[in-house]
Amino acid sequence: MGSPGIPDFTKAETHNPGPFANPEVRPGSLPRAATLDWQPLHPRYAKRLQAGALIRIGVLAAVVAAAHVTVLLAGFETLSRIAVWPLRILWALCALGGAWAVVKPLIVVPRCGYAVREKDILYRSGVLWRAVRVVPFSRVQHTRTDSGVLDRRFGLANLTVFPAGAGGHKIPGLGTDTAENLRAYVSERIEAEKLEAADTGS
Amino acid sequence: MMANPATWQRTSPFAIVFFVGKTIKTLGQSFAQLLVTFGALAVLIRRNPYLFLLIPLGILAIIATGVLQYLFFRFAVQEDRILIRQGVLKKTSLDLPFERIQGINVERSLVDRMLGLVTVSLDTAGSGAAEGQLPCVDAALADLLRTRVSAKHGSGDEGDARDEDAEEASTGSARRAVGGRSGRTGERREAILTLTTGDIVRIGLANHNLVLVGAVLALLGQSLDFAADILAPAVESAETAFAGADDLAQTLLVTGFIATLLAIALGLMIGAAVLRHHNFTLWREGTTFRSRAGLLTQKEVVVEAAKIQQISVSQSPLMRLFRRYRLQALPAAAMPAQARDAGGLPGLAEVLEVPALKDSRAEGIRTRVFGREGDGLTVLPGSRGFARISAHFIPVLTLRISLVSALIGAVILLAIVGSERALGVAVAVVIWWFCSLPPAALISWLKWHRHGYVYTGEGLANRGGFLGRKVDSFLFRKVQSVAVRQSPLQRRKGLATLHAHLACGKVSVPFINHGMACRLRDRILYRVESSRLRWL
Repeated sequence: MGSPGIPDFTKAETHNPGPFANPEVRPGSLPRAATLDWQPLHPRYAKRLQAGALIRIGVLAAVVAAAHVTVLLAGFETLSRIAVWPLRILWALCALGGAWAVVKPLIVVPRCGYAVREKDILYRSGVLWRAVRVVPFSRVQHTRTDSGVLDRRFGLANLTVFPAGAGGHKIPGLGTDTAENLRAYVSERIEAEKLEAADTGS
Repeated sequence: MMANPATWQRTSPFAIVFFVGKTIKTLGQSFAQLLVTFGALAVLIRRNPYLFLLIPLGILAIIATGVLQYLFFRFAVQEDRILIRQGVLKKTSLDLPFERIQGINVERSLVDRMLGLVTVSLDTAGSGAAEGQLPCVDAALADLLRTRVSAKHGSGDEGDARDEDAEEASTGSARRAVGGRSGRTGERREAILTLTTGDIVRIGLANHNLVLVGAVLALLGQSLDFAADILAPAVESAETAFAGADDLAQTLLVTGFIATLLAIALGLMIGAAVLRHHNFTLWREGTTFRSRAGLLTQKEVVVEAAKIQQISVSQSPLMRLFRRYRLQALPAAAMPAQARDAGGLPGLAEVLEVPALKDSRAEGIRTRVFGREGDGLTVLPGSRGFARISAHFIPVLTLRISLVSALIGAVILLAIVGSERALGVAVAVVIWWFCSLPPAALISWLKWHRHGYVYTGEGLANRGGFLGRKVDSFLFRKVQSVAVRQSPLQRRKGLATLHAHLACGKVSVPFINHGMACRLRDRILYRVESSRLRWL
């Protein structure tokens, strides 16, 4: 897969960094994201997602019900005849949405997870389209924990780390204290990285 | 004015022009916004012609805000910082220590140059926007700022920022002080390249707006019967002159007319290129890269070498004909060029751009920016080193393109025909989808053909493009975060897409071997986490 004329470090050098070796990092401690102990998200997170989705579906259902009642009470024969099928479709959508709202978090949440290492934080997500994202602590500009109304009801919080450039990396569905501990750890690691950089830099 | 720089001072009154321009820019921040405003205005004026008076009133108001902003703008240069106070209603005061200033960019309009003034913008690290802008100040002040900032950077954290430079400093005495305005600062100057007149003409010729202008002219000519109106008398006179040969005369005249229009457009494009790139010079001074160009408005871009995150080299088909490349060195938090051009957002970190250069020069700039870490990393789209991505890319993209086109077709058809003949529409859409498969496959094949990547132990170059070609290359240690993504199909075929997020944007290598993507990700992480060089 490598290109001709270019050293293929992937074969040998990940195990023995050779001339690229930085004496501070032992070859054994090289990050290898594949062999990781993934921490699951909080079990209540699935319930929180279900609740959120059900509330949204409930609002939709209320709107549909209001429309249905209006159509029935208005008494226009043509209108109620035309509106029969759209209303049936909307009700079906509501039912399907409700079912999906219950099922989806049960599928999605167990497949999400995070892992924290000495030098970086990882988050994996996705059922069909899977992704593993890694943010090294030495690149984190700031962190944020937040929890909305629903999150608080379920005792959950989200942690977001912001590297420079676009976008933050969000780890949702952590227990409140886990999120706080994690944030503290990340901040500590950022500081440590900064100190290390300052030490060896000058 | 410069006698006591520690006191509050105003800029030159010519700054009013700058502030007026800035107000207009904020008003027209988005093209859509402007369009809506003008549309509403047009409708209102049609209703009530007296509302025409609003236009001069509006212009007066804009000028008045400009004057007010100028009156309320004060700044003070101190030993280690610069203070800026501005704002009429919402007052802001800015305190910028010189250590935080990453670059000082200078722009000079024609008026500025006649009066010896400059507009200075101060780039700071971290935040994307250039926070401080000093419009129309004395050129001496820019020099003063520059020396103070470079003194701060020099004494402060010389160690890591100049690492690569320090080694060259010992051998680099030969190319000391090359430029014309030397002696302004005490630092080394190394001229890297200048644009020749031929290059500037090539840029003008390769401008893709030319095609656009041609299309617009053709449309205009058709819709207004513009061409016919102008040509009618000429054709008549020609008919009398070449009695009997009017067909020939007409074709000749039409081709002549089109050729004239094209020549005018070409002239305009070349003129624009000359205006923008006249006397383009790129040089290195200490740890910064600087470029200066422009015929009337002279613009100087200064980018700290350590701040450059990525080098992008692109080549449009026309430029490929001329064997020239366009190089952009993207600093942290730089907006992509297109967004910058379209949105016109003021004050974002400047991109160092060389509009046309030969391959050897591009590689030369790469070695200067990346240093020895970039060895083996190519920035040229034509290089043979690029490895192909998996061919599974082609069917996936084909399907996506054809489905999108079918969807758009379905929506258009439904809008035209109406939903009564749904079956007919469905059949038509399916046929349309089948017909769109071959061209979609062709496009996908071309895109696949353009894709490629090269990596070394220290960096990666990713090639992409459709008609043109573009190579984004970066050093692993500059990466901010990495992601490996897999779609269901990619998972079945053992493929993945690697996303490397940099402080200036994202570089994605699609459809490579999953194991390869993981190894590259681990290598990137290793370099990021073990490197002690500053990324900014």
